[in-house]
Amino acid sequence: MKLAVFLIFMIFFKVPLLWGQAKQAIEVFPSTPFYQYIIYENLAIFWIAIIGLIVIIRMKLREIERVQKLGLDKTDHRPGVPLPLEDGENGGDREGF
Amino acid sequence: MNCQKLKDWFDERYDTSALKKFAGEKLVPSHRHDLWYYTGGIIVFLFSIQFITGMMLAFYYVPHADFAHKSIIEIVTKLNMGWFFRSLHHWGSQLTIFFLFVHLFAVLLLKSYRKPRELLWFSGFILLGIAVFFGLSGYLLLWDERAFAAVRVATGGSGALPIVGPFIKAFLRGGIDVTGETLTRFYAFHVSILPLATVFLMVLHVLLVQVHGMSVPLSLKEKNLPQTPFFPNVVYKDMAVWLVVLGVTVTIATLFPPEIGQKADPLAPTPENIKPEWYFLFLFQTLKLFPGEILGLNGETIAILLITAGIFALFILPLLDRKSRLGEKSTLFTLIGVVYLLYFLIMTLIGYLS
Repeated sequence: MKLAVFLIFMIFFKVPLLWGQAKQAIEVFPSTPFYQYIIYENLAIFWIAIIGLIVIIRMKLREIERVQKLGLDKTDHRPGVPLPLEDGENGGDREGF
Repeated sequence: MNCQKLKDWFDERYDTSALKKFAGEKLVPSHRHDLWYYTGGIIVFLFSIQFITGMMLAFYYVPHADFAHKSIIEIVTKLNMGWFFRSLHHWGSQLTIFFLFVHLFAVLLLKSYRKPRELLWFSGFILLGIAVFFGLSGYLLLWDERAFAAVRVATGGSGALPIVGPFIKAFLRGGIDVTGETLTRFYAFHVSILPLATVFLMVLHVLLVQVHGMSVPLSLKEKNLPQTPFFPNVVYKDMAVWLVVLGVTVTIATLFPPEIGQKADPLAPTPENIKPEWYFLFLFQTLKLFPGEILGLNGETIAILLITAGIFALFILPLLDRKSRLGEKSTLFTLIGVVYLLYFLIMTLIGYLS
């Protein structure tokens, strides 16, 4: 009797569940609320970082444009390096510059 | 970070002064249409994302009909951030093709293909074809029932071409029908042949842009346009645009991870309401317009022939547009460009909604 009840239970309740599971959609995103929270939080931080980088790029670009407007970018002079000597100059004063 | 010693070490061995001079002197014209210049850079950036995420997925993907579907499920469910990299690869491909179309229509309507830039148009057009084939081959790698049916339809359509059609169909499928052989073939295309062709054409395309300089629309040709240095001004602007594109791609990939259907079964009936990817919808919808038989001839063959002729005409457009070649305004070809664009948009929309 117990065996018959067990078999009926298996056939009518558990076996169809196997097909039911097979037809279920495959999870393509973590289903745990904890992991979902972490993912969305990281997405927000990622956007903050992007906005921050864009602001830095904009500031840098403004500075470059300002320097270009003043014509300072045209010189070949690198800070800390002596200026090239003119013809006839011996550079005596510049030694150790 | 100061790398002066490293720079000096490099400069002692290699003379890069010509390259530095070129980068320093390269100018980009500023005008009301210069926004479209950024689409080219976006495509290069998106292709880089595709290469990186593709290589990561290739570590775990198994290109075999029995294991392909299972390996993708394992990538998505078991690997750390696997779902994210797969989603990023999927959405990266969608956005690459989207921006390739935007770039193509921008070049078409601004007549940037005109003499001496014909080779730029041809190389870009082939790159678009490669990207579309990238999409199709990558779609089959999923080996689910929808991908299987879509590739069966797409490869079957190529078979409708007269003379060469059956050969192309058999070559793509690796047999009579879509099987495990097709999967292996598409995998080879997706990870070796197409990336090599893409890198070669992209390098050629970028080199040609350097040779010819940035294109200026005919209407602005005579005007004395202000010039912006490419380095560093345009490079910084490009970087800002890339950051936004990266943010958008990551956001879409996180919020809309692509579904995985049931494993492909060659004996199962085709799923209902099956539709190809969005960039094939205009072709799919065009095929639907044609009846099964026209004057005793196969309607599908006529449709495929007309579509091929339309695409080929677009490909050789720089050779047909004589007025633009001579630097004159050509309203007819602007109209043709608008017709192509509207046809693409309307048919894609109808295909999507139907």
